Amino acid sequence: MKLAVSIAAVAALASVPLWLRDPYLLNALITTGIFVIGAMSLNLLLGFTGQLSLGHIAFFGIGAYVSALTSLGFDIGLPGGFRIVHEPWPPLAGFALAVLVAALCGYLVGRLSFRVRGAYFVIVTISFAEVVRLVALNWVELTQGPLALTSIPPMQVGWPGLGEFVFRTKLHNYYLVLGTAALCYLLIARLVDSQFGRAMRALMENETLAVSIGIDVTRTLSIAAMVSAGIAGAAGSLYAHYMKIIDPEVFAFINTVTMVIMVITGGKGSLAGPVVGGLIFGLMPVALRPVMAPEAQWIAYGGILIAILFLMPRGIVPALARHFPRPNPAAPEAFANRDAKESA
Amino acid sequence: MMRSLRTVSFIALATACLGGSALAADTIKIGVNEPLTGAFAASGTYVVNGAKIAADEINAKGGLLGKQVELVIEDNKSNPTEAAAVAEKLITSDKTPVMMGAWGSSLTLAVMPKLMEYEVPMVVETSSSSKITTTGNPYIFRISPPSSVEAAAFKTIVDKLALKKVDFLVINNDWGRGTAEDFSKMMKEKGIEIGVVETMDQGAQDMSAQLSKLKGTDSETIIVTTAVDQLTLIFKQAAALGLKKRIITTGGSQNPDQIIAQAGAAANGTMHLTTFLPWFPDQTPNPEATKYFISEWKKRGFDFAGCTESFRGYDGIRTAAAAIEKAGKADPAAIKAALWDIDVKGLNGDILFKKSGPAGKESGQSQPNVYLIEIDDGKVGMKSL
Amino acid sequence: MSEFLQHLLNTLVLGGTYALLGIGLTLIFGIMNVVNFTHGILYTFGAYIMFIVVQKLELNFFLALPVAVISGWLLGALVELTLLRPFRGSDIDTTMLVMIGAWIAMQSATLWVWGGVAKSVPTPFPEAPLVLGPVSVSWLRLFVLAAAALLIVLTYVLINRTRLGCAMRATFQDHDTAALMGVNVDLVYTSTFAVGSSLAAAAGALLGPVYVVYPQMGDLAAVKAFAIVILGGLGNITGAVIGGFILALAEELGAGYVSSGYRDAMGFLIIIAVLIFRPTGLFPRAERVG
Repeated sequence: MKLAVSIAAVAALASVPLWLRDPYLLNALITTGIFVIGAMSLNLLLGFTGQLSLGHIAFFGIGAYVSALTSLGFDIGLPGGFRIVHEPWPPLAGFALAVLVAALCGYLVGRLSFRVRGAYFVIVTISFAEVVRLVALNWVELTQGPLALTSIPPMQVGWPGLGEFVFRTKLHNYYLVLGTAALCYLLIARLVDSQFGRAMRALMENETLAVSIGIDVTRTLSIAAMVSAGIAGAAGSLYAHYMKIIDPEVFAFINTVTMVIMVITGGKGSLAGPVVGGLIFGLMPVALRPVMAPEAQWIAYGGILIAILFLMPRGIVPALARHFPRPNPAAPEAFANRDAKESA
Repeated sequence: MMRSLRTVSFIALATACLGGSALAADTIKIGVNEPLTGAFAASGTYVVNGAKIAADEINAKGGLLGKQVELVIEDNKSNPTEAAAVAEKLITSDKTPVMMGAWGSSLTLAVMPKLMEYEVPMVVETSSSSKITTTGNPYIFRISPPSSVEAAAFKTIVDKLALKKVDFLVINNDWGRGTAEDFSKMMKEKGIEIGVVETMDQGAQDMSAQLSKLKGTDSETIIVTTAVDQLTLIFKQAAALGLKKRIITTGGSQNPDQIIAQAGAAANGTMHLTTFLPWFPDQTPNPEATKYFISEWKKRGFDFAGCTESFRGYDGIRTAAAAIEKAGKADPAAIKAALWDIDVKGLNGDILFKKSGPAGKESGQSQPNVYLIEIDDGKVGMKSL
Repeated sequence: MSEFLQHLLNTLVLGGTYALLGIGLTLIFGIMNVVNFTHGILYTFGAYIMFIVVQKLELNFFLALPVAVISGWLLGALVELTLLRPFRGSDIDTTMLVMIGAWIAMQSATLWVWGGVAKSVPTPFPEAPLVLGPVSVSWLRLFVLAAAALLIVLTYVLINRTRLGCAMRATFQDHDTAALMGVNVDLVYTSTFAVGSSLAAAAGALLGPVYVVYPQMGDLAAVKAFAIVILGGLGNITGAVIGGFILALAEELGAGYVSSGYRDAMGFLIIIAVLIFRPTGLFPRAERVG
């Protein structure tokens, strides 16, 4: 049943370009989709391990920069007279490296910062994102700092000589983002349902108990952070190759806030939550734009956010799931349900 | 301010309700992509208000090609992703054949791939990054000076200032970094020594640390590049630290009146490279238009200090309108071709595009005038050289 | 040498303002466990009150300060009653997001009403600085430092020497027991949030005239306040004061002797280092708060 719903949802989303001809709305869907992938990765951390990262945009931005620099090439000097000269590689290699580097950073940050929890963890992650932003801003030789990296090539698959496909049009990019999002969704669903996923949730529920039955806290959390950061890096790579320009503003705090809003309003700890929350808050500005003044749009945005939290404190998807109970209690959505009962 | 924003929303609402096709027959649309919320809201709003003066003036004189001009104003939220989305909306939903935007360089750079995609030209009114006209985007027509143009203009007067060694204090973005780079290069050619280059973050309010460092160097002049709010703070904090070096600001959006009003005596003796002279309409290249613009600006109840930003919106719309007139139709390709042939008497010099960037796909860049003014005893004066 | 002395004097002046920002937040964030994103907007609010009272109503500068503090108190109480009380018992993420929503809406409302152009607040202090040998400082900054010190002492007394402070401390140690002992827990929550907010507004009212007043002015201030609270340890007022001075020193020396581009990174690097090596902050909370 769950599988059927997921397939229907993907099919519905895949059909969108067939009846939606407006490139402006398609563009909004693509950028929203990229941020939804980021939100899904954040949900893995926030929803399934209970750790709130307010610096998640760091991994997204690292992915964007790694991917862009890989496909543009760079030439930097290092202390001691060394030079690193990198010739441009195909964007797909950039994508792969973006995932790897972001995942590595996620692992290291997780390893170091999971020693602190709660509010302290929140602040460490904000600090990390700010430091990364300042490095991107000030290491001008590598990142061109505020001058921005421009002319980033569009994503392409294949390898030179073996035939290749370039994602040039909006339609191509829509399916690229949708495909990547579906893959990430599957990956997270598998992970959450695995032995490892159970260990994560056990930690979230009761850390002392989890440790007593032999779960390695730091290792589990670090791996969760690694996977989460890798997915965020993938989203960042898609962003760079779609926008074709990135500058340190990609690390803006409001971008993290957007992802957190998507996860929590949709329902943290529910697989579909970030998708639903993401589509609502990603497309809301598009809907508000024609009806009110620019400042009023932001006021409405904040007001709707508070209203959703007030009406559905556990998020939209869990609230809906309560009205339409699923027969299969092992489905990940059920966890959010159980959370709701606990807090009640 | 409230009024103007309601007008913005009304226009946006009207556009949305009536749809592109209903209005297309009666009006000629010009897209305006500016930051109305977020970090650059103040400047973006000024530019939009200047743009409206131009549109109203054109309409009062009978419009363009027998039709009324309609500005489609959209807020890019000071966010590059949104700036690209706004461009997409203006081009595809509103079918604007030409646009003006997008204030900041990163906003403009984010819009540029969309111009290539849809082959629609854009008049760039404020952005200063050299990348905008050098990356081979033939749909870009810039009326604001990049820092290299400003440096070249300053070169002609630099001898008379008898500079020996200068330090820089610049905002840490493309504008500040670009200025430090281009001015250093020019000054080195002139045999002037370059000291330290200090930066400040865009939102920073306390520059005492940087200024204390600059106080201790052996340079006699500091070149400062940033927006008006930080300039005000710098003058106040420099005075509090007893920093008595000559300060020259660049960039053309200094609003000297706001500096005088807010920094008081601390602003005395500072010099400013500016691109518009609202204080001396008679000395501008187009005195009549300047006087009209300033009287209209005051009539609408806007702050006089905003003139040094808003005139670019006014010039930008007049540039786009001149191109539409010349093209004879509201068609992107025709307007793009016509932009190369126009000669508009702008408020700060003739707007006449010269080719810039890689051959075959050059962007247009006009060469605005640059003036050096000095604040003395709370008043703005032309620096006599 | 004189440059170094000037950096130290700057640190003293800047540190006082950071400490003031920190103590308001440490009450709310540290004690109530609310990641309070409205702290920055209350700072902005205090500054706008100064602008309205001094510039628009042309009233006395020193009269405007208490007006700003009281307005901040009232707005804080209102936010707690309407936005936080309905979410009592929700987890930290939900209340944080409610505060984010309030922050976005209130900041945009400020922009809508006053526009984005920065305002300045006239002050009665002389423009010429106080010169002490090789270093100098403005009179206004000295006044702000003194006022900040006074507010810090008052807050300390409030927490440690009054019945309300006692109730606050009891509530945040164990709110069930406190309720059983007859403490009006709801009142304590509202009071704490209101006091923290009024301190943020006070910081804005004092610093608005030093800097300029505009809608986003609170964003950077709030980030620094979070850093200070973490450095000092949650709920630790003395720690927040010391944390404020440490952050100011790091920024001054970082900008003066390392690189001004990384000035704002200094604070964050210290936080990362502190939390890795001393995960509970430099001055962890002891058994009791205050």
